[in-house]
Amino acid sequence: MEVSEVSKFLAQTIPFDQLSSAQLAETALQFSVYYCQEGEALDITKERLLIVRTGIYALYSDKQQLLTKLEEGDFYGYQLLLTGLADADKLVCEEDGLIYWLPAAEFHQLRYQYKNIDIFFQRLFGRRLHQYKEQQGSRFTLKVSDIVQARKIAISGEHTVQQAAQLMTDKRVSSLLVEKNDRLIGILTDRDLRTRVLAADLPAATPVHQVMTPKPHTIDKHAYLFEAVQLMSRFNIHHLPVLDKDISFSMITATDIIRSQQDHPVYLIGEIHRQTSIDGLEQCSLQINNLAQVLGKQQVPAHEAGHIITTITDALTQRLIKLAQQELGPAPCVFTWLCFGSQARMDQSINADQDNALLLEREPTADIADYFEKLADFVCQGLARCGITLCPGNIMASNPELRLSLKGWSGKFAKWIASPTPEAILKASIFFDMRAVEGSKGLFNALQQDILARTNNALFLFHLAQSALQRTAPLSFLRNFILEHDGKQKKGIDLKKRGISLITDIVRIYALANGVHEVNTRQRLQQLALLGALDSKEAQNLSDAFDVLAHLRWDKHLHDLNQGHDASNLLDPAILSGLQRHQLKDSFAVINNAQSSIKHRFCKEV
Amino acid sequence: MLAWLRKKPALYDDVKRFNAAELPASTTAARSCRYLALDLETTGLHARQDHIVSIGWVPIIEQQIQLKQARHFLIKPPVSVGQSAIYHGVHDKDLKDASELSDVLQLLLQEFSGYYFIAHHCRLDRAFLELAFQRYFGKVPKMYFIDTLNIEWYRMQKQGIVMKKDALRLPNCLARYKLPVSAQHHALEDAYGCALLYLAQLKKSHAEITIDDMLQQSR
Repeated sequence: MEVSEVSKFLAQTIPFDQLSSAQLAETALQFSVYYCQEGEALDITKERLLIVRTGIYALYSDKQQLLTKLEEGDFYGYQLLLTGLADADKLVCEEDGLIYWLPAAEFHQLRYQYKNIDIFFQRLFGRRLHQYKEQQGSRFTLKVSDIVQARKIAISGEHTVQQAAQLMTDKRVSSLLVEKNDRLIGILTDRDLRTRVLAADLPAATPVHQVMTPKPHTIDKHAYLFEAVQLMSRFNIHHLPVLDKDISFSMITATDIIRSQQDHPVYLIGEIHRQTSIDGLEQCSLQINNLAQVLGKQQVPAHEAGHIITTITDALTQRLIKLAQQELGPAPCVFTWLCFGSQARMDQSINADQDNALLLEREPTADIADYFEKLADFVCQGLARCGITLCPGNIMASNPELRLSLKGWSGKFAKWIASPTPEAILKASIFFDMRAVEGSKGLFNALQQDILARTNNALFLFHLAQSALQRTAPLSFLRNFILEHDGKQKKGIDLKKRGISLITDIVRIYALANGVHEVNTRQRLQQLALLGALDSKEAQNLSDAFDVLAHLRWDKHLHDLNQGHDASNLLDPAILSGLQRHQLKDSFAVINNAQSSIKHRFCKEV
Repeated sequence: MLAWLRKKPALYDDVKRFNAAELPASTTAARSCRYLALDLETTGLHARQDHIVSIGWVPIIEQQIQLKQARHFLIKPPVSVGQSAIYHGVHDKDLKDASELSDVLQLLLQEFSGYYFIAHHCRLDRAFLELAFQRYFGKVPKMYFIDTLNIEWYRMQKQGIVMKKDALRLPNCLARYKLPVSAQHHALEDAYGCALLYLAQLKKSHAEITIDDMLQQSR
């Protein structure tokens, strides 16, 4: 006779929940039950299915990387059972609990007997493969380091161009890094030799430093490949020195990139930088949804997709600024085009609207004010035509209140920080996620320094925390989802308002309290953990929760686009699998915990 | 009279065979021994007046509860189940498929020689079993019982934990180890709960704890 405690659990666990009670009773007999203690490594070399009944178990890859955590209702061992191939994984118990084991013969009998159970495990296996693909980085999100080897071919500036030409011939390369005391000072290309030496009739003894391109654009070896594409197409260059922590590492060329990914959808960025009219840009922007679909099909993780979408918005903005300047003439002073919110955090979604502003070198008076008003209108309207809708809250450079000098901005921030009111903070919090899209980096850095020097202010953080605690995760006391209606009477969970935003709010508070420069939520968390401002486990939990929510939203948006709807953040939890529901609940629980620590740390009586 | 005398030796032999089976040495690691967790539901607390309503058991081999061999038997009562039916959820009409107690005990002897027996608060179960064995087999087999309640008491005492009333009841013990608690007063569910508790107790001991140590702690 079956133990009802076991069959009841199976009845609530996908895929067994589809079985009749008689089938469940029969199935429940096939398991054996094992008690596992914290720190114990489970024996996963035998062919058998593992079901987690209680407890938490961490799954590590052979490289000691945490792949996932298994909790109630999760499975392991199906890969070995389905393929006969063992993983070099390690499964370690993190919290005491019970495991159900199902021997291989009984597992196969079950699959044979119930088609749906078979399909379920096949799918689970497919998803697990995906887990590994993410680890290795899918083709569309290659990094620079994935395609260039450490192949540094360098020469000093004092060598002659003839020696340089000889070296290039010997090494069969089209460009050289020029270094002085191990620091990169320039690059020398085939083309430089042709145009600046031969065509200018200079002698073969001319020193390299005279004809090289000094202070070249560079890229970090950990940057995404599409960022290299973007730099090259923006500045019309074909060679980029690759740096590893400011030390030259290699060179990446346009040919390298084309060879590596000829059908890369992010060629769209190159396309954008070649456009000469708003019409052309609008045409390009029509491909964004397509691109999103392709990224979705390629199962690009949500945070990388967000990064790509943001990069496209950046490219559109940069190109529009160029076009505006072609029409209006050069800017009368140095400026920085700022973006805020999700664009600044590099986690833009498909339905994001504009949040931007201008930072000016001089006070916006007379001609300067006039010029930038026109520029801002041109760019904001242009972005709107490209599908990035105007900001309903008027947080846009076209708003004269958001075209300010360094002094003007600094004063604005100082006021928010020094005398915060709940309403002001609610409106202002978006400004604290800020990034320079185009124009002077120096000007931007000055403003950021100025702000971060002020933000560790207890009263300000108190109000910021209060406003972050206004909304809570939609989880009831008994761990059920709380659904809410949107305007159209659809019921669901707002993944942004009730999830992602709550995390970005929490993380922003910690970042501002600790003077962290990073704006991206994941990077902020990494930095905070590094600084010890946040317990590394808590940082990891928040980061995981953020990924889960971002992923669900990304899937939801793709689904909406597929159906021809506008992308919406409202998710009906009924469509989720048991596993996803579980993850979602966990993510909300992480938010609840993080909110109570925020309350504890920042909301004591001031 | 003579028939009764002839019948006795067959059953008596079962006990003898059971007793002859070798148990692991007292220095054997407790984790490698075989166990049978069992539970009885009875009509009352007095072995001499009351009788067994149901028996549930589930074996543990290599620290794994073997659900395939979990059994639950309703026992044919000598008289009507009567008043205590409400308590155990067993009614006379449910007893059509009930087994003869002697058959169940015989099965126990045949299948589980070489096993240690586990029960939560085993004194009562043991009294009923011993009396039944004496009655049907003419001899009480040598069964070694481990009492999860006593182990729990021993360990809590040792840790200096102040015990509240009811702290040692099976559901409360299970809850302390965050183990699932199932329906109570069902012989198999309780035997399963007891087996879970014992697995946890084994794990919370040092890895080489001997069967003798466990028997000591359960006194």
